[in-house]
Amino acid sequence: MMRDTRLRRLPMALSALVALALAVLPLPTALDPFRPDFLVLVVFYWSIESPRAGGLTLAFVAGIALDVIKGVVLGQHALALTLMSAWATHLRLRLRVFSMVSQCLTIFALLTGYQFVLFWIDGATGNPVTTFGRWLAPVIGALLWPLLTALLGHLHER
Amino acid sequence: MVAFRNTDPSGRTTGLLVRCVLYSLLALGLIIVDKRYDHLGRIRRLLSIVAYPVQIAVASPFEGWDWFRESVTTRDALRADKAKLEAELRLAQFHLQRYEALEAESQRLRALRDATRDVTDRFVIGNVMDVDLDAFRERVLVDKGAQDGVFVGQAVLDAGGVFGQVARVGQLTAEVILLSDATHAIPVQVNRNGLRTVAVGTGDMSRLKLPYLPTSADVIVGDLLVTSGLGGGFPPGYPVGTVAEVKRDPAQSLAEVEVKPAAALDRSRELMFVWLKPQPAAPAATPAAPPAAAHTAAAGPAPGSAPVATAAAAAARAASAAAPSAPPAPAASAAGANDE
Repeated sequence: MMRDTRLRRLPMALSALVALALAVLPLPTALDPFRPDFLVLVVFYWSIESPRAGGLTLAFVAGIALDVIKGVVLGQHALALTLMSAWATHLRLRLRVFSMVSQCLTIFALLTGYQFVLFWIDGATGNPVTTFGRWLAPVIGALLWPLLTALLGHLHER
Repeated sequence: MVAFRNTDPSGRTTGLLVRCVLYSLLALGLIIVDKRYDHLGRIRRLLSIVAYPVQIAVASPFEGWDWFRESVTTRDALRADKAKLEAELRLAQFHLQRYEALEAESQRLRALRDATRDVTDRFVIGNVMDVDLDAFRERVLVDKGAQDGVFVGQAVLDAGGVFGQVARVGQLTAEVILLSDATHAIPVQVNRNGLRTVAVGTGDMSRLKLPYLPTSADVIVGDLLVTSGLGGGFPPGYPVGTVAEVKRDPAQSLAEVEVKPAAALDRSRELMFVWLKPQPAAPAATPAAPPAAAHTAAAGPAPGSAPVATAAAAAARAASAAAPSAPPAPAASAAGANDE
């Protein structure tokens, strides 16, 4: 177990970097509200799959990267990602035995929680975004979860 | 990290909790420091250099595709383009001659009025990077930053008119907030009669609104709005938009006016950053506002909040200027509405 930890760092960093790029990839304006939080899903995946390889550190660093690249208050995404990935880590043993449908529902709850923390900090720092559009991302993200687990599972079993 | 090495299940849970609390406090601290003070500006700038490769990596395939399409255009298409551009250039030069004559005349008249506020400025052209920042905020990333002298609050134009202003500066990149962002306000003037007011973004790139005009205000569909230069953030006289719709409800005290922006907010790729010429003496009409605003913009306090704050100040000033006979309450509420 200990020796995998180091081996997993590379796929972790790579997948996080790709997800970060996807988070700012230009999309047509009409599709933009439907963009799932790729990086959040990837961080959840690693928090569940191998929390010892640095799940929370990954979450915090990925959050800071999102803050910088999206140009919002520094720490916003970091806080949301840390809290939610800690929750995901806490749930991981149960998540592994869940059916895919219940996994997706749990991921939906986590993503909604993530959006809620973002929403709350947006409001507290005085730039509220009140459109309903932002609550779409968790739905799309939860629907993508099976695909993502298959893909990342393939990646780190090699 | 150390706590996590513990293989005991209960120990692991406490480790998780401790680390979660630790990181959360760190993040909360960052949020508070970033929001309240300006200490993180430099760190942010450095971090934005780290983010630059990712942004370039995302943007470059699109730019590469554009380049490819451009390089495989046929000779015929290029010739057709050239003929079209030459025709346009002739037309533009023709207009320019008239414009120069008009400008000379305007200079003479201004000199007569002893209010010469020449703000022909220094420009730097920046390109919009193919990067989506946030689906719900109207912002773009431009490839000019602190090393090109770009500063927070700086006016940004495109070929059609005013585009927005700089909201945050990185070392190599800058974030520009569009006119149409729901938190953005710009002091404007109706070109036809000089009526001053404030144009506020709606969150929709195709329209702005003028929320502070009384029902009786002299504004009609087709009126050109230009920047008034009040507040000192924007150079005066640049087109902002044309009035697209005026709704007057006799039961309401304020008219609902919609404006179509002059700049191609959703299409422009090349933007101009403007440096105002320092004004020798502030005219009496705007008491000491432009130097103060320029100073705060250059110092860049609390990134992100600066443009809104200057816009709100401008709103208050413009509103009171537009309706001098009205009690001060509307001006105060205008400022309050923008300040949120």
